[in-house]
Amino acid sequence: MSSTTVMKTFAETDIIDTLIIGSGAGGAPLAAELARNGKSVVVLEAGPAFSATGHTPDEVAARELYWLHERLSAGTNPQAFGGNNSGTGLGGSMLHYGAFMPRMDARDFHLHTETGKGVDWPFGLDELLPYIERVESFIGVSGPAYYPWDPERRYAYAPPPANSAALKMREGCDALGLRHADGPAALITRDIEQPHFGTRHACANCGACHQGCRNGAKSGTDNTWLPMAVAYGAELRPGCFAHTIERDSSGRVTGVVYRQNGVEHRQKCATLVLAAGAVETPRLLLTNGLANSSGQVGQNYMTHVSTQVWGEFDEDIRPNRGYPSLTITEDMMRPKDADFVGGYLVQSLGMMPATWGQNLARSTTTRGPAFARSLAGYNRSAGMGINGECLPRPENRVTLSDEKDAFGIPKPLIEHSYGPNEWAMHHHAARLLTQMWEAVGAKDIRVIDRAAHMIGTCRMGTDADSNVINPVGRSFDIDNLWISDHSIFPSAAAANPALAIMALSLRTAEAMLKA
Amino acid sequence: MSHPPDRPEILDSDHLSTRTREILTSRLSVSTAQPRTLSLRAYAVLDALLPVLLPLDEILPPATDIAMTARIDAALSGPRDGWRFADLPPDAEAWESALLTLDDVAAEQHGLAFIHLAPDLRGALLDAVMDGQIGLEREGRLTASQMKRWAGDLRGEVVDCLMSDPRIQQALGISSSLTGGDTVFQGFTEVGPDSRESFEPKTTAPLLQMAESSE
Repeated sequence: MSSTTVMKTFAETDIIDTLIIGSGAGGAPLAAELARNGKSVVVLEAGPAFSATGHTPDEVAARELYWLHERLSAGTNPQAFGGNNSGTGLGGSMLHYGAFMPRMDARDFHLHTETGKGVDWPFGLDELLPYIERVESFIGVSGPAYYPWDPERRYAYAPPPANSAALKMREGCDALGLRHADGPAALITRDIEQPHFGTRHACANCGACHQGCRNGAKSGTDNTWLPMAVAYGAELRPGCFAHTIERDSSGRVTGVVYRQNGVEHRQKCATLVLAAGAVETPRLLLTNGLANSSGQVGQNYMTHVSTQVWGEFDEDIRPNRGYPSLTITEDMMRPKDADFVGGYLVQSLGMMPATWGQNLARSTTTRGPAFARSLAGYNRSAGMGINGECLPRPENRVTLSDEKDAFGIPKPLIEHSYGPNEWAMHHHAARLLTQMWEAVGAKDIRVIDRAAHMIGTCRMGTDADSNVINPVGRSFDIDNLWISDHSIFPSAAAANPALAIMALSLRTAEAMLKA
Repeated sequence: MSHPPDRPEILDSDHLSTRTREILTSRLSVSTAQPRTLSLRAYAVLDALLPVLLPLDEILPPATDIAMTARIDAALSGPRDGWRFADLPPDAEAWESALLTLDDVAAEQHGLAFIHLAPDLRGALLDAVMDGQIGLEREGRLTASQMKRWAGDLRGEVVDCLMSDPRIQQALGISSSLTGGDTVFQGFTEVGPDSRESFEPKTTAPLLQMAESSE
């Protein structure tokens, strides 16, 4: 992260207005918004301050951007963490996210009303849309001039060029009569001066979004909200692992104890915001025994059904080149032949080689020369993938395991199993995407059953008995504790979560200013 | 010490950053003197297992050794990826137990240590592990369902090691490391099908050259 201003610092004995744990999509917009309105703000980030120019496309080394405190993954669909869900460093998971930035579908806010399944959000798209538009405008999002599923929508930047996978998916959509477009991508395609940050360069089509953007083209919090927060007087503290939340006799939060370079520190605060994500936020509450009168902390863990289908083509595809996931179709948001509720988005997929190879290796059991030949097919491979609704289920949750980490704190145990709705969606998508690839001549078509993202565990709603926080992000139990991250989502919805997290973050900041 | 073969050309490209060049170059010379994580017995089992899982003779020039066993053994003592299956012990312990389970089962079924089995028998045992058919219910060993889980980790680790090796990237014509240099961040100008840029490697792997010459 860099900034054009010198950062203000606070003493640990200062009672700052707002202490925020986490510097990603949940914490950073709120930090900027509160600081801009004159509040004293400190952001604790467990990871380091990376330099964008130091990012490397080497996938093994780039795992430094992942949250590396060990998690235990269980259930019938145990989830892989790190890539696609859990980051570290100033900028959070947005350092490694894919920048695919669709908006939530209006119907996904009211899934229960529509279908009798899942959970409704306590408000609709009309409530969140102004914040969504502010986020898109401030961080920079590219998209097509005409978006078939929302003709009124406008994007400030032209799309990056379509890579091989994007072009192949267009052909596949055309063959089956599906609409397609260049998808919304949170990257800029012309050089700009970002306020409080400096120059951000146009996307160079390097394809290594997931390994960290080296020229500032990808819109993260490290090159947008965080420099803005610093410019308005917020302090960012990297390398600080928060573990203990302190309270007074009335139960209100008074400060947080964190470890930095092996030394314990204590920061006093008037208000605390947890923005540590759908595993670390409930873990903090559970280890401290807080804000759980509903019994819902850690419950309703959700993901996205993220089935992928890959094929090999006769052409030289080179899937590492270009923005990885440009083509989108939203035609499956409520498919007519669905045997499931909710819907899914389809995107084209390029991919870096080790990530691609890992997916192949874990989803097949071939060995010997056949395995070697599959891996040697990298340069001829193109994929498509989905992000689809995942219903909250009681058996899916985050709890504390019996194992302790290096800090002596229980490691989180995450149980994740697909239910009938998730499996039905997976099979529907596997059939459709296979048909699309067959229609355009792909060979060796391979379905990969996987889930991505992490959502839920501190649900937002109107009823204190079944929710952890109220509809603007405030704890029902502790009035100076707020949560701002994807843990508050009542349902998963289909869209990748970063945009809604940032929009909710601005909305929660507004509520905090009024409180 | 393994002897590094000819230096892959991609390492001298000006589309490579200094940091990335250093990371890739470090993989050319890995100490194979002695295991860092696994016991000698488990290490030997892994060494005998890798060629039946993923033979490299159709990808790399003859006699090229990318020291996969040593690199995996070293990686098991390094930073991991931040999660593990709850029903497996921590990674280093899981690998040790899995490999010893394989060795014990080889002795029970064939009266020979795993490393002395013919390749087809080693392969058949690995297939049975991936099918969830092989395991041992005793301390320090893994059950059949744990072995099946571990087999996924094994496959993933092997592929990580493979695809991050500059000799493999060169041989398969992969340009993923060449995103841009230190002073000029070039990226890619061409991103569509059949549009290799001049700085991107052509494939040299024997099996792919055969495929290309037949087109």
